[in-house]
Amino acid sequence: MIPRVAICIAAVATFFVTPHVLAEYHMFQICLIAATALVVLGLVVVTGLAGQISLAQSAFVGLGGYGSAILATSWGMPLWASIPLTAFLVSLAGFVLGQLTLRISGHYLALATMAFAAIVQLGLIHSDQITGGAAGMPVPPFRIFGLTLTTGSRLYYVILPITALLFLIVWNVMQSRFGRALSAIRQSETAAEAMGLDVLRYKAMAFAASGFFGAIGGGLLASLSTYLDPAQFGITQSVYFVAVAVVGGMSSPFGAIIGSAIFILLPDLLQSFQSYLGLVFALLLLGFIVLRPNGLASVGLSRYLGVASLRTAGGWW
Amino acid sequence: MLAQVLVSSVTAGAVYALIALGFVLIQKGTGVVHFGYGDQVTFGGYLVLIGQVVIGLSFWPAVFFAVLLSALLGAIIYGAFMWPLRNASLLARIIASLALGTVLREFVRAYMGPNAWPFPFLLSQTAVSVAGVLVVPANLAIVVVSFAVLGLLFLLFEKTIYGKAILAACDNQIGASIVGVRVSTVFLAIWILASVLATIAGILVAPLLTLSPDMGLIGIKGFTAAILGGFNSLLGAVLGGITLGILEGLAGTYISSALKDMISYSILIAVILVRPQGLLGGLMIRKV
Amino acid sequence: MTNALLRVENVTVRFGGIVALDKFSLDVRSGSIQALIGPNGAGKSTMLNVITGLYAIDGGTVLFERKRIDGHAPHTISRLGIARTFQNTELFGEMSAVENVMVGLDRHYSYNLAIGMAHSPGYRRSEIAARGEAQDLLALVGLADDTAIAAAALPFGKQRRLEIARALATRPKLLLLDEPAAGLRAAEVESLNLILLNLRAEQGLTILVIDHVMALVMAVSDKISVLNFGRKIAEGEPDTVRRAPEVIRAYLGEKAAHALGA
Repeated sequence: MIPRVAICIAAVATFFVTPHVLAEYHMFQICLIAATALVVLGLVVVTGLAGQISLAQSAFVGLGGYGSAILATSWGMPLWASIPLTAFLVSLAGFVLGQLTLRISGHYLALATMAFAAIVQLGLIHSDQITGGAAGMPVPPFRIFGLTLTTGSRLYYVILPITALLFLIVWNVMQSRFGRALSAIRQSETAAEAMGLDVLRYKAMAFAASGFFGAIGGGLLASLSTYLDPAQFGITQSVYFVAVAVVGGMSSPFGAIIGSAIFILLPDLLQSFQSYLGLVFALLLLGFIVLRPNGLASVGLSRYLGVASLRTAGGWW
Repeated sequence: MLAQVLVSSVTAGAVYALIALGFVLIQKGTGVVHFGYGDQVTFGGYLVLIGQVVIGLSFWPAVFFAVLLSALLGAIIYGAFMWPLRNASLLARIIASLALGTVLREFVRAYMGPNAWPFPFLLSQTAVSVAGVLVVPANLAIVVVSFAVLGLLFLLFEKTIYGKAILAACDNQIGASIVGVRVSTVFLAIWILASVLATIAGILVAPLLTLSPDMGLIGIKGFTAAILGGFNSLLGAVLGGITLGILEGLAGTYISSALKDMISYSILIAVILVRPQGLLGGLMIRKV
Repeated sequence: MTNALLRVENVTVRFGGIVALDKFSLDVRSGSIQALIGPNGAGKSTMLNVITGLYAIDGGTVLFERKRIDGHAPHTISRLGIARTFQNTELFGEMSAVENVMVGLDRHYSYNLAIGMAHSPGYRRSEIAARGEAQDLLALVGLADDTAIAAAALPFGKQRRLEIARALATRPKLLLLDEPAAGLRAAEVESLNLILLNLRAEQGLTILVIDHVMALVMAVSDKISVLNFGRKIAEGEPDTVRRAPEVIRAYLGEKAAHALGA
């Protein structure tokens, strides 16, 4: 078991050394991985931990991206402020969506969240005045402390620390009584309710969290891609995020990182087969859900890092 | 004018009904809600296309080819995925059915390209005036087939011993097997039947919507129709489909054509929340 | 009765056309152990579910500490001091025994979300204290050696005891047990009896037990109420109830009742 302090020092050192070692292209990929991992972190909380199926994640990402960009373009709010503000507002939407779980679960919840994603996408496409409609809209560059950050190497210094902080927070919450409560709700809502847990409120909070992380990820992804296209925020993308979560392992935040890394780096390995990318992702999802539903994070890695207390979150199956 | 809207809506409704029938068949027959069914419908249409374009068959042989392959696909889906997952958690099964649909969709996108393909109509495309209202024979075929399929399935479930065996197997697997019903055979048969139905639906629907990889997103509409009808009822699936088609048509004409789809999805959420058992279904109580 | 901790008054529950409870009344005296028995399908579990807020009632009232609780949400009722176990164990299977119990304790060691996020000293103190109390509760029911084992991996008898420990973790005033002795061996029923009697003696806990196992019911109850077809057909001390003709008839049928000279 490696002492925590040593890991922290190694991590910080790696953080500062990396930009000098890797090329811009790889730095950009690292940023993509981090931002995607944040989006998937939302699924880890709402589905992996709280057990609520959600196909709404792409809607939160889209709202996060568009919201931040619109606040920046129309109201002149800098992205470093509009992204968190949008994320907070989207989390409220997530909380409202979570109220649905009072009446429905399982298949119906999957459908309702799918319908939500479809409605949001249609809304983005048809609100030409605000969002640029089907043609999309450009995202203003990220400005902070007078610096303009447009490349992966530079956005790295904003994206990675935010990602690390949010992951740490989620990790801590999972080890706390709140993580216990959500895990309990996933395993038996009836018993959880009988023990005094306000199950509806917890589930709605889980949805709010998924909205928050989806929107933050969406804002950061928008800054990286510099352009928003509504076609990227539909049900297909929600399934993509679910795929990342399943392959990486939904019951642990590590899974979000592992899954994102695989899905972002895979296209490089399939250079000449770009058109088959979607098929490969789909096959990965199918393969994992049937053969290894706990994802990769459940394999060895976590134990090696001495995080046996992952058990609080519990397995997922 | 209203009559015209209604007649056109019934066509759309029949499309939804046909897909809803497949959903309900699988759910009633095997207890699984198959989120990838819409993509199977698309895949069915593409199978015909592949038969024609890649293998060089003419239309009807290609249809036969497609039906055969989709039967095989149904068997594979059941044997390789649904049966191994029969005891897995609900989430796993939902995601698996989504994954299956996505695999089919991405396969056709990769293999046949992302663009739409033209697809031949089975019957005439020219509108014929009947009692002052325009009717398209090709669309009429869809309506007729929907009701025909409904009729056949109804007969199967209500009147034959096989149908009752299916319902028994779905309701109580252990009980059914004790009385001699081989549950796995029943489920296999359902999947094959539903997959063939998907291909038939695809062939009828593709000319209307043009065949593209994302045509399967119509699955949600099929879902809405099935839920409107109570999800456990074949008749409900058809009625739900027609109802949805009419509601959509009216909304599209009198409210906004662009928001037509949004209204459909809103109907879905509303029905799920207010009356999840649909118009015809019954409530179930879970004992603790 | 002034010291009725729980008062069920003329409660009626209907499921569609079936009347599960028919103007049923029951008083549970504070500090007593009472049992509710009756043939299968008599409505006993329904009664439990009504008290804990899982089922809505179609008539009558349910009073706890002289305040109405019918119509309240289950988690609210739990917080008022009513805990229960389930007929089909509803344990948190993937979590360890001690974690299961901690879920019940969390309410009493509450720290807010900010502390949960930051893992400040308050968090550490709470967690350690909660874990300690959880281990004590597990020892109380004889599971001291199984604290780290996943609930789903425990043998059936121990799972039943874990359910009780978990219910006790919420520090209830009233404990409702739904067939706690079902499937237990004779020796296990004995230890369960001792646990229940101890809880009453040392903590003054009020207990209402539903069960079929007479070795439990007769040994621990101060008062037994008998339910059949949703109606109370007998009530009184164990010996009285055991010999009541209506009870024998309900369980064994007319012929048996005649044969026993009732």
